[in-house]
Amino acid sequence: MTSFPRKAAVLALTCWAAAAAGTAGLAAEPPSLRKGPLPMETSCVVCHRELDGAALEPVTRAADDVHFQKGLACHDCHGGDPEAGMDGDPSAAHDEARGWKGKPSRLQVPELCGRCHADPAFMKRFDPQERTDQLAEYRTSGHGRRNAAGDAQAAVCVDCHGVHGVRPVTDPRSGVHPSRVAQTCARCHSDASLMAPYGLPTRQHEQYQASVHARALYEGGDTSAPTCNDCHGSHGAVPPGVSSVANVCGSCHTREATLFREIEARKGMDLEACIQCLICHSNHEVKPPTPEMLGVGEGSTCTGCHAEGDAGWAGAATMAEGLGRLRRRLAEASEQLDAAEHAGMEVGPDRFALQTASDQLVEARVLVHSFDIERFSKAAAEGIAAADEGVAAAGRAFRELRSRRNGLALSLVVIAAVMVSLILTIRRIERR
Amino acid sequence: MSTALQDKTRGAMGWLEERVGFSQILEMGRHKMVPVHRHTVWYYLGGMSLFLFGVQLATGILLLLYYRPSSEEAFESVQFLVTKVPFGWLIRSIHSWSANLLVFVLFLHMFSVFFLRAYRRPRELTWVSGVVLLLLALAFGFSGYLLPWNTLAFFATQVGTEVAGAVPVAGGFLLRLLRGGEQVTGGTLTRFYGFHVAVLPAITTAVLGLHLYLVQRHGMSVPERVQARAAMPFLPSFLLRDLVGWCAALGCLAFLAAFFPWELGEKADPFAPAPAGIKPEWYFAWMFQLLKLLPAHVLGVEGELVGILGISAGGVLWLMVPFLDRGEGRRSALLWALMGWAAVAAIASLTAMVYLIPGSS
Repeated sequence: MTSFPRKAAVLALTCWAAAAAGTAGLAAEPPSLRKGPLPMETSCVVCHRELDGAALEPVTRAADDVHFQKGLACHDCHGGDPEAGMDGDPSAAHDEARGWKGKPSRLQVPELCGRCHADPAFMKRFDPQERTDQLAEYRTSGHGRRNAAGDAQAAVCVDCHGVHGVRPVTDPRSGVHPSRVAQTCARCHSDASLMAPYGLPTRQHEQYQASVHARALYEGGDTSAPTCNDCHGSHGAVPPGVSSVANVCGSCHTREATLFREIEARKGMDLEACIQCLICHSNHEVKPPTPEMLGVGEGSTCTGCHAEGDAGWAGAATMAEGLGRLRRRLAEASEQLDAAEHAGMEVGPDRFALQTASDQLVEARVLVHSFDIERFSKAAAEGIAAADEGVAAAGRAFRELRSRRNGLALSLVVIAAVMVSLILTIRRIERR
Repeated sequence: MSTALQDKTRGAMGWLEERVGFSQILEMGRHKMVPVHRHTVWYYLGGMSLFLFGVQLATGILLLLYYRPSSEEAFESVQFLVTKVPFGWLIRSIHSWSANLLVFVLFLHMFSVFFLRAYRRPRELTWVSGVVLLLLALAFGFSGYLLPWNTLAFFATQVGTEVAGAVPVAGGFLLRLLRGGEQVTGGTLTRFYGFHVAVLPAITTAVLGLHLYLVQRHGMSVPERVQARAAMPFLPSFLLRDLVGWCAALGCLAFLAAFFPWELGEKADPFAPAPAGIKPEWYFAWMFQLLKLLPAHVLGVEGELVGILGISAGGVLWLMVPFLDRGEGRRSALLWALMGWAAVAAIASLTAMVYLIPGSS
């Protein structure tokens, strides 16, 4: 009888041999959820648990794997017959006659995953809302097209989702969780040697980390903030074309995108040439918009295209002046209401009314994208009027405060007079 | 004034006199004598408490005209009162400042009675009713604090009612009784409003009536070893002096209201995290600090429970002082005075810790 360590060694060798061959055909049908030993009790796990290194790794990571948790087991991807392995001969489990396929090659991975993930009937058994278009989308992506062309370097499912230990997207430890997507993409896209054959740049991740989007995601903890896949797509990842940039940015910045499109319709301008949003805001390194970006001063993005004397130059100057006035007046109103509040006055409702000025500031900043001076000026003027009302309310609060103190002085005089007259009365009575 | 009008006025007064008997009341006031000695000044604290209670009653009724007791409208109604209603800010500020001044004066009044040993036979029940009135004032303060439904009040009420919930055996019942459920909600606000404007005033009226009757029946207590130099009639001498003090208190309230209007803060949000540095009202601060200073367990019993039981036992002992202090002579007087000063020192130092030591609350 063969001893267990020997059996294990035979098993490991068989596995690696099959893996090296890497060409085992893949079943066309998705695995069925069958009755039998639990995924962690199959002979695959029983034997591999006794091995070391790469042969042990699938077992140690299986507990975290969403597939194992849902009832799938090793042979659902690798084929073979785990029950045969239980009879004492581990190599029987790796018998090609019993469906053993070994380790799929990188070129085969998308189809292997797609057996289940592209099968709506199968996936519905786990989640009726689950998407099943990932494989179709992948085939349209840069990665998928290269994979189909036989490029084994092109990213496949396991490069992003991992293998043995695949966690759901909602798990923050998953490489495809929003908080980790950028690092996952950067593993390849920041690797100069890997990107060189494709002629792709490698500074995107570095630039993204300096962006307002990354700040919202990493510092603000806002997982809805955009990361790589929100602009490029995930399974169908491609760089957005020049003509679709406004649509991509507009999927979140809807009003700005609509206003931008209106310019084309209203003025018959072709804005493709200026690469739309990117010309002012950049792409990966999207900086928070600053007051200096608008106008004709230092740091202006307008002066990159417009020259002194043209209408764009004058418009930029007008808008910058309007926004500056609104911002200053709003700050003044807020400061004065703070002072009135510190003096003990209740200014809650006035502060609430000042919200209109803040809203108009946001509105005016958005309307910059319409390049329509009239619309912009109207919003800015409404904001300035609301801020003026805030300043006036603070003034009223201070006048009220003064009148209270004057009233107090008067009442104290009256009270003091009453006290003196009472004391005099007491003396007069007691003298009698 | 014409003779005809004078006749009519006299007639009306006579009509009232015949039915009410004002002259008898005035005569009683003139005959009631107040002893004059070096401690007479403490006698004015009772009258001052009564005046401040009157201010509370008057301003409270005015606040009722605008206040709406629901979590949706309470904050807004107080905000409306202090910003839009003429002198609404003054009424609310005076109500809040007067409440605090009342509690302070009640503490002074109680300790003055304690150190003068004015609670001794036959004034035991005057003391008991007085202590009950102080407890009622604290209950007024606790229930009224929540009514503007602002953030600080909300979380202070949450902490305060949690303490009540830690009382052995009846804790759960007390917690639900106070909160009107398991959590502090709009239901708690409505309940506290009911306590503040109906239940507590009804009980206070009865106990205050008893207290005033007992004061009237037994007169002012003259401390042992103090020789009264003379006596003054309650009417008009003592009452006029009282009035001088009341005018001073009114001026003080007006000053506080004008220079330090009572803050409204922000509307309570039950889903927001508790802000840092939540403190109870100053008159509960010493209890709060004591509970915080106790270790998690004392002799195997939960520290908070030990604190609550200790404070309750202290309160009962304080209430029973007239029945425990039966000794005569200097030694007994010294012993009780020492106990009194120990209580004052403990309350003052624990309160000071909350406000003076950073991070202690």
